[in-house]
Amino acid sequence: MARLFILLVISLVLTCISTSWTLSQTKPTLILLETLAQKESHSQFFKILVDEGFQLVYKVADDSTLTLVKYGEFLYDNVVLFAPNVEEFGGNVSPVGIVEFIDAGGNLIVAASSSITDAIRELGSDCGVEFDEDGTSVIDHLHYDASDSGKHTTIVVEPEQLIAAPLIVATRSPILYNGVAMTADSSNSLLLPVVKGSPTSYSYNPTSKIEEYPMALGTETLLVAALQARNNARVTFSGSLDMFSDAFFETSVSRSGLEPVPSGNRQFSRDIARWTFKEVGLLRVSAVSHNRIGETSPPTAYTIGEEVRFSITIEEFISGSWTPFLASDVQMEFVRIDPFVRAFLEPTANGTLEVVFVLPDVYGVFQFRVDYNRLGYTRLQSRTQVSVRPLQHTQYERFIPSAFPYYASAASMMLGLFLFALVFLSHQDSAKSKKD
Amino acid sequence: MAASFLSYLPASQMSHEKKSTLLTLMILTIAAILSFLIRLFSVLRFESVIHEFDPYFNYRTTRFLVDNGYYDFHNWFDDRAWYPLGRIIGGTIYPGLMITSTILYNLLHSLNITIDIRNVCVFLAPLFSSLTSIVTYHLTKELWSTGAGLVAASLIAIVPGYISRSVAGSYDNEGIAIFCMLLTYTLWIKAVKRGSVAWATACAVAYFYMVSSWGGYVFLINLIPMHVFALIVTGRFNVKVYVSYCTVYCLGTVMSMQIPFVGFQPIQSSEHMAAFGVFGLCQIVGFYQYAASKLSKEELNLLSRFVISATVVVSLVVAMALQLSGKIAPWTGRFYSLLDPSYAKNNIPIIASVSEHQPTAWSSFYFDLQLLVFMFPVGLYHCFANLTTENIFIILYGVTSIYFAGVMVRLMLVLAPVMCILASIGLNKTMTSFMKNLESTNKETPQPKKRADNSYSVKNEVAMAVVAMITLFLTTYVFHCTWVTSEAYSSPSIVLAARGGSDGSRMIFDDFREAYYWMRQNTEEDAKIMSWWDYGYQITAMANRTILVDNNTWNNTHISRVGQAMSSTEDKAYEIMQELDVDYVLVIFGGMVGYSSDDINKFLWMVRIGGSTDRGTHIHEKDYYTPSGEFRVDREGSPTLLNCLMYKLCYYKFGNVYTDANKPMGYDRVRNVEIGNKDFELDVLEEAYTTQHWLVRIYKVKPMSNRGI
Repeated sequence: MARLFILLVISLVLTCISTSWTLSQTKPTLILLETLAQKESHSQFFKILVDEGFQLVYKVADDSTLTLVKYGEFLYDNVVLFAPNVEEFGGNVSPVGIVEFIDAGGNLIVAASSSITDAIRELGSDCGVEFDEDGTSVIDHLHYDASDSGKHTTIVVEPEQLIAAPLIVATRSPILYNGVAMTADSSNSLLLPVVKGSPTSYSYNPTSKIEEYPMALGTETLLVAALQARNNARVTFSGSLDMFSDAFFETSVSRSGLEPVPSGNRQFSRDIARWTFKEVGLLRVSAVSHNRIGETSPPTAYTIGEEVRFSITIEEFISGSWTPFLASDVQMEFVRIDPFVRAFLEPTANGTLEVVFVLPDVYGVFQFRVDYNRLGYTRLQSRTQVSVRPLQHTQYERFIPSAFPYYASAASMMLGLFLFALVFLSHQDSAKSKKD
Repeated sequence: MAASFLSYLPASQMSHEKKSTLLTLMILTIAAILSFLIRLFSVLRFESVIHEFDPYFNYRTTRFLVDNGYYDFHNWFDDRAWYPLGRIIGGTIYPGLMITSTILYNLLHSLNITIDIRNVCVFLAPLFSSLTSIVTYHLTKELWSTGAGLVAASLIAIVPGYISRSVAGSYDNEGIAIFCMLLTYTLWIKAVKRGSVAWATACAVAYFYMVSSWGGYVFLINLIPMHVFALIVTGRFNVKVYVSYCTVYCLGTVMSMQIPFVGFQPIQSSEHMAAFGVFGLCQIVGFYQYAASKLSKEELNLLSRFVISATVVVSLVVAMALQLSGKIAPWTGRFYSLLDPSYAKNNIPIIASVSEHQPTAWSSFYFDLQLLVFMFPVGLYHCFANLTTENIFIILYGVTSIYFAGVMVRLMLVLAPVMCILASIGLNKTMTSFMKNLESTNKETPQPKKRADNSYSVKNEVAMAVVAMITLFLTTYVFHCTWVTSEAYSSPSIVLAARGGSDGSRMIFDDFREAYYWMRQNTEEDAKIMSWWDYGYQITAMANRTILVDNNTWNNTHISRVGQAMSSTEDKAYEIMQELDVDYVLVIFGGMVGYSSDDINKFLWMVRIGGSTDRGTHIHEKDYYTPSGEFRVDREGSPTLLNCLMYKLCYYKFGNVYTDANKPMGYDRVRNVEIGNKDFELDVLEEAYTTQHWLVRIYKVKPMSNRGI
């Protein structure tokens, strides 16, 4: 009876663990808004998220009960921050807290606008993105939409301004944009310019006279920037909140001298949301194995000159399941400070990538390294440390052909000494007997 | 006294010969026991553990040998040291020490004495010192007399110069090497005296044991040929010497080449060429002597002229060709620094940086040898006065080793035995000549002798005075040795003891073990630790973690890389640490408690070694000095120094603590200054652990910034 009870307890605990685990797999997405009215004005974007299977939680950004963490765990996987005018976040949320959320692996979409507060600017600069000042807009006197009020701030983004990464942005239709400019910290190699300004764009306050050099000018102006952090958390900054709005989704783009076409904002927002919230471009290493040819398990240490098979299973997350990723451009490096071997991995029938190579004639502690960095994909790094030892004393050649003269000389020497000893001893004997 | 003691024994009716044998045995036994016991201070005061840093490597390898057997040991590739290069341990060590302990261990276990291998290691050096005192007796007996031998055995039992390297818990090669060396010398003298192939073979075997246990065998393979050469020059060369030397050289060379670390050196390196040259010379001289006995004078002159000129020409050409083609390895740095004490200082910072390789101070001669310093010339004089084949050997040994000991502190060890031997000869000679003059109450004293020495009136008193004086000297020698051993050579390095505190009581700093234990428990199994090479062996053995460089300084470039990291700014250092996959950085800091051999005091060597290779050309020693050329860590110090990694790691948060009353915060008790740069944060590292007295500080290398800024 007692045993049954224990079993029951164990199974209960296990169920709890497994349910909590599955729950942790599908944490909700937090939508932070300035006013709940935005829920309506951007309803189509939120509908896209719901259609993609995200569970949305709407909160006002200065809600006093707002919190991202509970019991040391983050409550959300993804955050959408549509509150460019928030002076101070409510509850215990702060830009620092959001940065911690990113460092813990959380994904984030931030949309700003021409009126922007220091809280958002601080968040941006923590990720290497610099927003222009409050009140400024991206202005383009050549590429503006017909619906523009005359300030030339509702601008049209041509497809060639988009990053050439189908995983992040697949759409190739013109996009409407109305908002603040950004620049990238040039030392930050992790930032991706998703949408760049056209060569004729610049950033300034549209109502005032231009007296200073604009902060952003031409193609260095960033309209949308993305950051894939080293822990693969994805953060997207957009200077325009309007580009996600229902109004921009539904309107058509009419440039001067061209036929009006439907705006690509809906498609663009969907692409960005899917990428940022890790629906696409997600890779993982599920298994790494290495062994000598003809064996199945790895040895404690390899010996120089051995033939080694290295295989790695990389999987991609495609529509809800992990499927083998069989690219032909994945490389393996065999590194001891410097790479000694660098080879392409070949896809095999059973879904792994594999290479067979001969270990270099150098001993030491090596690493099998697979570093796969492709635009839009997760940053993939695999390190497997192995020792490569020199030959054991039994593994050297016993007899070397080129040394045969020496063997002969040693043998003849021994023979000669033996014969000499015989002769010498017998000779002495005879001499003695002669003397006698 | 011994005689009166003997008279109480039941065997007092023994013959004179039996008595002297018993006496000899007793003195030797007492000397052997004494030499064992005097080395136990450290074990009795602390615990039965390895006390020094370097021997931890020997201990680790011995354990490996015991656990895995000889072949695994022989083929052992260590991937925990010299990351990521690794080190072939089997081929780069002298295995004699480990094999000796393992044999002892297995022997004891086969007798069902289940001693721990650690204890075998701890007590091995004292055990071998006992054996050394017995061997010294035999050597001196061969050279001079039984009496001198007994004195020598007693002297060497407690001579501080030898004790310094052989206390219990110091498990180093030297501990057994001195025994091997003296054993080889003893057998060599026996062989030369008798001209016996058997003794010469025994000598070659002893030489092999010596080669297997210490790199200092080079001294031996040069001293013996030097002896033979001196015999040739002085016209004492004969068939006995020929037989002994040829046997020893041939067998010894072949056997020594069986040690993987030695390999082909005996026939390739310059250090061994003298032995080879003398071997050739022996053949020529031998042939000459043979020819001289067969040929007439004119023929002999012609022959000798031809042979000499031909040999000189041929050998010069061959030597030149070999040297140019690189077949004969140039002399190693350590050897050069032996011949020219300033060589290392100018050329090889890594050799000069070791304090053991510094020239000896005069005071340490007295400190380590005391009475022997004065009796050594006396013995030397008597050897010259009574020149024999074997005395030439001891004279050569004495003169060369006193030179070497003057060049390098650690070679005091080689000097100590010959000091004992020559001093014992001096003592023995003095005592025997004056003891005769004592008016004996002993009726057995033969009458004629009394008559013969009737030259001056107060001879009895003079003799009394001399004997009393020497007795007094010997007594002070014993006290001095005991005091030196107890105070200077028995304090372990892994645990520091100091008199301090408000009441002057003994304080124990066990920070090293604390840090290594922390590391063993709290870091990942394959964490890579960067530290200066001095601490490499300890970290592998005690913390069981991978290290970048260690005390086996075989790869100068790699050590230089670590030196560069330590002497660069944080950013530059971070690049190096990323390249070498460093997870933790360990520094030794003495400023809190006043431990002077810490990393800041060693820092200039890191700068020098770091700047000595191609990749460290941006590091210039003069940047770390003040404009007036001083090395200072206070406000006046150079900004390069005050911002380099080593400074930051040592003094991180040190500016917020008081170390001394009446002194400002951040007062360094080693340099006796207030540090110059107090307020700084670390960017790429974070403090992981600092021990109780701040002696060891461990930092974790942060991963690259997540968001790229």
